Amino acid sequence: MTAVTCIELCKTYRQGDQEIKALDHASIDIGEGGFVCLSAPSGGGKTTLLNAIGGLDIPDSGEVWIAGKRIDNLGKGELANLRLHKIGYVFQAYNLVPVLSARENVEFVMQVQGVPAGQRAEKSMAILKEVGLQGLEDRRPAEMSGGQQQRVAVARAIVSRPALVLADEPTANLDSKTSDALMELFVQLNKTHGTTFVIATHDQRVMGYAKRLIKMLDGRIVDDIDQQAA
Amino acid sequence: MYMLRIMSTLAWRNLWRNHRRTIIMISAITIGVWAMIFMTALMRGMVNEMVRDGIRALPGHVQIHGRGFLDDPGINNLLPMKDEDVTASFDAAGFDAWAGRIRVPAVVTSERDSRGITLYGIDPVRERDITFVAGDIVEGRFLEDADDSGVVIGRKLADNLETELGKRIVIMSQDPDNEIADRGFRIVGIFEARLEAYETSMLFAGKSAIQKMLNVPDRINEVVVLGDDYRNVDPVVRKVTDLVGPGVEVLPWYEVDSYLGTMMTVMDGFVLVWMIVVFLALSFGLVNTLVMAVFERVREIGLMMALGMRPTSILLQIVIESLLLLLLGLLIGNVLAGATVYWLRDGIDISVVAAGMEMFGASSLLYPQLTAHDVVLANVVVLILGSIASLSPAWRASRYDPIEAITKV
Amino acid sequence: MNIVLRLAWRNLWRYPRRTWLTTGAMIFSNVLLVFMISIQIGTYGLMIDNTLEALTGHLQIQAPGYKDDLKMRQVVPDAISLAASVREGLNLQTVSARGAAFALASSEDRSYGIQVLGVEPMFEPGVSSLPGLTKEGRYLDDANAAEIVIGSVLARNLRVSIGGELTLLGSGRDGSIAAGIVTVVGVFHGGNKELDRGIAEVPIGYFEDTFDMQGAAHQIVINAGDYSKTEQLVQQANALLPADSKLVVHDWNALQPGLRQAIQADMGSAIFMYAVLVVLVAFSVLNTQLMSVLERTREFGIVMALGLTPGRLGRLVMLETALMGLVGLVMGSVLGGIVTSLFTVKGIYVPGMEEMAGQFNLPSRMYPQVSALTLIAGPGIVFLFTLLAAIYPAMRLHWLQPVAAMRAA
Repeated sequence: MTAVTCIELCKTYRQGDQEIKALDHASIDIGEGGFVCLSAPSGGGKTTLLNAIGGLDIPDSGEVWIAGKRIDNLGKGELANLRLHKIGYVFQAYNLVPVLSARENVEFVMQVQGVPAGQRAEKSMAILKEVGLQGLEDRRPAEMSGGQQQRVAVARAIVSRPALVLADEPTANLDSKTSDALMELFVQLNKTHGTTFVIATHDQRVMGYAKRLIKMLDGRIVDDIDQQAA
Repeated sequence: MYMLRIMSTLAWRNLWRNHRRTIIMISAITIGVWAMIFMTALMRGMVNEMVRDGIRALPGHVQIHGRGFLDDPGINNLLPMKDEDVTASFDAAGFDAWAGRIRVPAVVTSERDSRGITLYGIDPVRERDITFVAGDIVEGRFLEDADDSGVVIGRKLADNLETELGKRIVIMSQDPDNEIADRGFRIVGIFEARLEAYETSMLFAGKSAIQKMLNVPDRINEVVVLGDDYRNVDPVVRKVTDLVGPGVEVLPWYEVDSYLGTMMTVMDGFVLVWMIVVFLALSFGLVNTLVMAVFERVREIGLMMALGMRPTSILLQIVIESLLLLLLGLLIGNVLAGATVYWLRDGIDISVVAAGMEMFGASSLLYPQLTAHDVVLANVVVLILGSIASLSPAWRASRYDPIEAITKV
Repeated sequence: MNIVLRLAWRNLWRYPRRTWLTTGAMIFSNVLLVFMISIQIGTYGLMIDNTLEALTGHLQIQAPGYKDDLKMRQVVPDAISLAASVREGLNLQTVSARGAAFALASSEDRSYGIQVLGVEPMFEPGVSSLPGLTKEGRYLDDANAAEIVIGSVLARNLRVSIGGELTLLGSGRDGSIAAGIVTVVGVFHGGNKELDRGIAEVPIGYFEDTFDMQGAAHQIVINAGDYSKTEQLVQQANALLPADSKLVVHDWNALQPGLRQAIQADMGSAIFMYAVLVVLVAFSVLNTQLMSVLERTREFGIVMALGLTPGRLGRLVMLETALMGLVGLVMGSVLGGIVTSLFTVKGIYVPGMEEMAGQFNLPSRMYPQVSALTLIAGPGIVFLFTLLAAIYPAMRLHWLQPVAAMRAA
């Protein structure tokens, strides 16, 4: 079974009096355990595709299937539920709740999922250790570096062991060393848990880690390279 | 001047950057101002009506009695001068209206029942302009002259006595020698008053008839004088005092009926307290709005200062912004209050609590009354206190360090 | 502690100044509400008790129509024995029969129309405060003696003192002339001008003879001890009336309709003022919470992308508001309780109070009464409106598009 299937997705935005085709008959298939990079120049449609996969954005036409279930026709509540339980999301920097500590940020999602308190504490401590933040659990976002904040975000995304993690420019605000460390973490998680990763980026270094690189331009898929073979 | 125009333009545009917040704040100010003015108009309407009614029943703006009359309001405290002398001197003095009267406690008896009342021997021609009763006759007629041998009584008293127009009643009182004096009168008129208490306690007869009955020819125990404005009776008091000399008591209405008098002063105090309370409740929101407006513009303010704008200009700009908010709220609030008062110009019927209002001494039809004084007061309170309240956030804004402000995230 | 609760609490204090200003508005209003409502409750109770204790009692048995017309012939037959049987039937000592007539009271040199009450000396002290307020001389003790107790102002007006004689002249039950001579044995100070000026009491036996009552009286007055028991006693008293009698039982509200209505009128204006305060607080909250939601648009977008539903976020905003409201409620109630308590012993004095208070049988100081009700009623309503005000900001989250929200600055 494929983790993600997109069929003929189209999406048009209006900006002023200009029409922008963010997605133009884009179709992709991503297998379970995949590690895919979506690359495109700014405005190339990669974020729109990512958001369509995550059910954040509803395409004008086409179908989105996640783990064998069609999602583009689901309601808001079902989509929210899907993201909560099946998909992990990592954004650019500054995406933690500022008034909560690292641990609380991770636990917050679990509490919403309905995980009992004892399990929450145990899991969040374990996952923070796994992403290398042992000892920093009680810091607030403002007291951490960009890389550390992004690790918290990753911990938050994977704590409930989702089959699919979507990341939108996760390294945009990080220096190269920190970027590499974050990507190593992604690779390791992909390997140990079999989690599928779809990463939208225009960072060459990030693309280097991907097993498969999908290039987009003006909303179309223009290239699909299997990098493992190379 | 040019600077002020720029400041105002800036302040005005800044105000509408966050139009939701501005609209909410203006709504709050509007409601506050409306409540200030409307409530005041209601209370004023009630009290002024009470005072006017009270003055028409007392009656008059100034009353003249022999000393001690108020403690012992009867036939034994006659004025030292004769009725005709009073007439001569008061007519010569040129008052708006005045009347001499005899006022004594009495018992009135019909065929069926008797009641204690206050008997007024009046000169109907003079009394017409002063006492309410002439205009409120609902059956029969008012007295014609001082020699009229009829009486005019209240509707409720007539009911209690089970008597009616054209029937005879007997009035008993005492003469100065404490001999019981009594006489029969025919009821020639029945009046209705806004307060039931007036209907049950007042009975009017011709002055000469009463003088004859009580054996006090050409004497009176009360003179009532009407000035042109009940809020300004001191000149009348002075004029009357000069006229009658010592030995008699000259009292303005607010001392004759101290409940009515205090009502006026208490109301003035209440109006001011009410306005300040409403403003204080508003002020938290106002300061809050300004604090937010300043906070989200920290960088901009830093930039302006870096460009050479003085701290005082920043301060001025925030204060102007606050004043604009207040002025808009005031404008709408004033119009709304005016409209509400106009809409209710026929009075608000609160007769469900009529008996309760009577305890206050007020009638059950409430006419809101808008006075220029109250409207100005409300506006001044809001503007002055509002400016003071806006000083603190404005001051903070003007104290920012430009570099720190610009680099603030 | 629950993370959502913790999150809400910390969100609340992101901008402490703003939160304090908003809770400040709540605290200000709550203190004011606690204070004012405590005064109202304290005053109303006192007003009811003082007014009813003087003469009226909590309920009366009368002939139909008597309370409106007060006619001599609208009588309760065999009043003394009926009073005795009611006393026994209700198992209540505070029941007393009373006759009432209007008469001209004359001393050697003055005459005044007054209301003469014929009372049972043994039982009257149970239903009226006047016997206890008879500080000069003594109260009546013999049911048939030709003795009278009069009000202090009346004593002054009539120029009589203890031991003096008064002539009473009025009409009897059948309209015939009634006359008698009585000795003044006591003077009471009722504290209310109307009572002190116009009321006198004689023993019921003497009253019956003088006014030719043939064993009848006009009222059987019952003091319930506490006005809340009135309703129950009215039913019991109705059951005790002779089967063939046309007598009726009136509660205090029917006897003194002005009392409840005055309270209602006063409450009406108070509620208007409170409503204005509450609405202004609600606007303050609306402004703050709307700003707080708008400035967190991006943050909300992200947590929505993580799978939180708008409903959940809306509940978070409501929770934040509830916490803020709770701070205002607790601090307002506590502070209001403390401030009000400071005045419960000493009372509050406002210039001009005596005149106003006298009108309603109240002492010249106001004594607020703090209770759970007065502490919670006002602040509770403020809390409710605080929550209502947050509904719009919370609703806005439903229209939030996560993608657009995340792009927001």
